[in-house]
Amino acid sequence: MEKRLVLLVSLLFCLARPTLADEPCQSPYLPKVTGQEDFVYVFTLGVEGMGDGSDKLVTVGANPSRPDYGKVVSSVSVGGRHEVHHGGFTDDRRELWMGGLDDSAIFVFDIATDPAQPKLVKTITTFTKDSGGVVGPHTFYAIPGRMLISGLSNAQDNGGKTALVEYSNQGKFVRTIWLPEAAPYGYDVRVSANLNRMLTSSFAGRANYMRKLPDLMGDAEAMKHFGNTMIVWDFHARKPLQTFAVPGAPLEIRWALAPQHYYAFSSSALTSKLWGIFRKDDGTFEALEIAPIGDPSKVPLPVDISLSTDDHFLFVDSFMDGTVRVFDVSQPRAPVVVLEQKIGSQVNMVSQSWDGRRVYFTSSLLSNWDKTGADDEQFLKAFKWDGKTLTPSFAIDFKAAKLGRPHQMNFGSIDFYRGRVAARPSAAGPEDVPRASEGG
Amino acid sequence: MGPRTARRLLPLLTLGLLCAFSVAHADAPLFTPPAPGTYELPPIQHVADYELLDPHGARVRLLGLAPGQVALVSFVYQRCSDGSACPAALATWKRVDEALAARPALARHVRLVTVSFDPENDTPERMAELARHLRPRSDWRFLTAPSQAELRPVLADYGQDVLPLVGAGGERLGLLQHLTKAFLVDERGDVRAIYGSSFLSAQILLNDAQTVLAAESAARPRTAALR
Repeated sequence: MEKRLVLLVSLLFCLARPTLADEPCQSPYLPKVTGQEDFVYVFTLGVEGMGDGSDKLVTVGANPSRPDYGKVVSSVSVGGRHEVHHGGFTDDRRELWMGGLDDSAIFVFDIATDPAQPKLVKTITTFTKDSGGVVGPHTFYAIPGRMLISGLSNAQDNGGKTALVEYSNQGKFVRTIWLPEAAPYGYDVRVSANLNRMLTSSFAGRANYMRKLPDLMGDAEAMKHFGNTMIVWDFHARKPLQTFAVPGAPLEIRWALAPQHYYAFSSSALTSKLWGIFRKDDGTFEALEIAPIGDPSKVPLPVDISLSTDDHFLFVDSFMDGTVRVFDVSQPRAPVVVLEQKIGSQVNMVSQSWDGRRVYFTSSLLSNWDKTGADDEQFLKAFKWDGKTLTPSFAIDFKAAKLGRPHQMNFGSIDFYRGRVAARPSAAGPEDVPRASEGG
Repeated sequence: MGPRTARRLLPLLTLGLLCAFSVAHADAPLFTPPAPGTYELPPIQHVADYELLDPHGARVRLLGLAPGQVALVSFVYQRCSDGSACPAALATWKRVDEALAARPALARHVRLVTVSFDPENDTPERMAELARHLRPRSDWRFLTAPSQAELRPVLADYGQDVLPLVGAGGERLGLLQHLTKAFLVDERGDVRAIYGSSFLSAQILLNDAQTVLAAESAARPRTAALR
């Protein structure tokens, strides 16, 4: 019995949270699934004439030990095209929310009941009305009992003035926090729970993001209407503290994950620069341009970033050249490119597994911004990463499968929803079992 | 050591860890919490006031709030030994309890509630034992449920997930997978704040309670000013 007790206590300590976040880019408030993911949930834009033409949630098998590895396991259409883009799990991972940038519809899927077969259980069609005029729900960021959603636009002029909006996990509107007049544009929102600090970035309004890209880029006046700021907030009070000039539409934000790493990264799309937001000794922050991304004069358009769990590698996808650049950011103020690899004719989202051994890419940026003709490749590509090399493991052609344009990815685990934490055979090794973060 | 002995040791082990955690984790966040009344805490969700069991086995309301009161509610189970989870919640509640004992004018308006989500093991007697260990100095309730069936709607209403952990063969390990969650509830049963483990700070909880009480006080002129 003593041995069993020791094992029990050891297990309890193993269940304690080792770090702050889930798969590196998820909210720190989510329980983690740290081992071999079973599924990749892919938010997919419908294409007229392709399959049913509707936006959908596509579930792809990602566990090499399962027969559905590298295959489409299920697909749930939401009916119609809404420019689905980003989403996120609720803080208990039971539901996955997915937002449409065009009509601001929000689709809520039950993941917990059957992780292989998500079910659409709720559609929120009142986001703009609830929020007092916010349009384009972008980032869905789980906070305790609620979903924190960053908007991109507003119903009054479809410009970039926007807000943060909160809903309860049950789908009840809680409040709207408009961004300050001096920096009204929004895009991503990320929280450092330990520091009580929240960062927001800035993109463009619906009038720009729903417009055909060649038209937009030829309209000098419209091109002035992109965000050029990032804001540091008091998270608990939801009050802005500092605004930084970050020219050229700073998009995704990633806080460093290791304890005492008090900084975050972002990339500016139009100026192709990597930015660091660093906490200073006095507790305030500074935003510094820390590296170019490719050749900025060629406008590679960096769109997504993914920081490894150990804060060592930052993957940066740029859409126009279809290339990922991996930066060694172990010296965060002096990043160094250690790998540059073309993924496809266009590439957009990049997601790493928690252990950093697997990396997934998708191709679509926005329905009106994707390339045309032969360059309009639409794929999910999975790679292995050994710290130096990306090696292909599987790929799915979303056009051939008549699915649509794949965009954001989230990971799923069967064992998490079954409370199964003991060792399960895994392709990556016995230490990589899915693990609940706040068990015990 | 027999199974019964081991079961009896686990709560003590937990409390030992709790004490260790209390010393190591001195409730010192890396930031200065915003001052009471300088921010808003709008209603997030509504919860009903359920009947549960007190340490004497008597049925009492989980909240049972009078006008002008708020409750700080945390869900725990005594066999939890994840230092950042239930022990941390209990340690924080103890710190709030001590702070309230030093501020009787505020203490009259704040009820602390600890609810077990492990009714099979956390019987009223076990909750009484926990209360004896923690020696509450303010209005601090220790509650459990008569059964899982009566607990289920409480957890669902609050959004507190709990899942039995199982081994590779499907055998139950006697442990529970759960998120650490705590709630600030006003007199109407509206949840005004939800806390994860990263915000378990006595100062934040007290500031939030005062923020809600001040907002409610503004709507009820007869409520005495709170200090």
